[in-house]
Amino acid sequence: MILSAKKFGPLGFAPAHDVAVPYLERSRDYYLVMGYPKPYEWAHATEVAFTPLEQPLSQTSITVITTAAPIEPGKGEQGANAAMNPAAAFEKVYSAPSRNAPELGISHLHYDRRHTDGADNGAFMPLAALEAAGRIGALSPRFHGVPTRYSHRQTMNRDGPELLARLREDGTDAAILIAI
Amino acid sequence: MSLIANYLEANGIPTVVMGCAKDIVEYTGAPRFLYCDFPLGCPAGRPDDTASQQATLELALRLLESAPAPRTTVQLPERWHDNPDWKLDFFNVANMSEAEFEQAREEELAWRKPPPKPA
Repeated sequence: MILSAKKFGPLGFAPAHDVAVPYLERSRDYYLVMGYPKPYEWAHATEVAFTPLEQPLSQTSITVITTAAPIEPGKGEQGANAAMNPAAAFEKVYSAPSRNAPELGISHLHYDRRHTDGADNGAFMPLAALEAAGRIGALSPRFHGVPTRYSHRQTMNRDGPELLARLREDGTDAAILIAI
Repeated sequence: MSLIANYLEANGIPTVVMGCAKDIVEYTGAPRFLYCDFPLGCPAGRPDDTASQQATLELALRLLESAPAPRTTVQLPERWHDNPDWKLDFFNVANMSEAEFEQAREEELAWRKPPPKPA
């Protein structure tokens, strides 16, 4: 682990570009240069919903929701260092066992292929860490995948209700959502 | 993911989002957000580093337990690299070679092609 930064300048501050990467601005410029003049419209909430966790974590059943996809034969390169692979994308909510989970890939997603390789599932899927933590009530029997290629409307009207139904079916109390 | 988080929270399920794109997750509006200042693709900790992944999850769990209000962000203190220059690369047209740009354009075209209809 690296916890301390190299210090710059007489007061030991970090350099100016050592800030959260400005992805909104980067993607707007990126697609503009590529010839897509209409920028992607991210959802932008006026109000954010909030439900406090009412019971102790030790009595809470937790699941994970991801946009990663199970690696499947016949869909091309999906593992370490795979190029962008749209064939690996999925179109509907899926569920899979949390224990002995299938190997997942992120080749269908935009991630930083220069600085990471998408191989170690633990870097984007905390199921093993959840089991090792040992202080939650239960690891929910299934984790869930949610597609990314559709409209905000479909996410809210189709995928949200589908996920909620599956969480209730499993008796899940809380969810960790992974934004890859 | 923030949209899904909002939907679940509105229906009584507490959530925490783990992610590396701070501006995007906060713009869309997450109830609880564990921000990992790592390259996109590593929202749950450093690859091949169990201690990092467990520390990242632990912060997410503590956030789930204790966030006082919506839009609470906590940042993982771990740094990806001593040198922050990696932050200059992703989707940065100013730093791309012509060959990289052409490859990115081809990938984008493939991505935008509609998926085949299920049989």
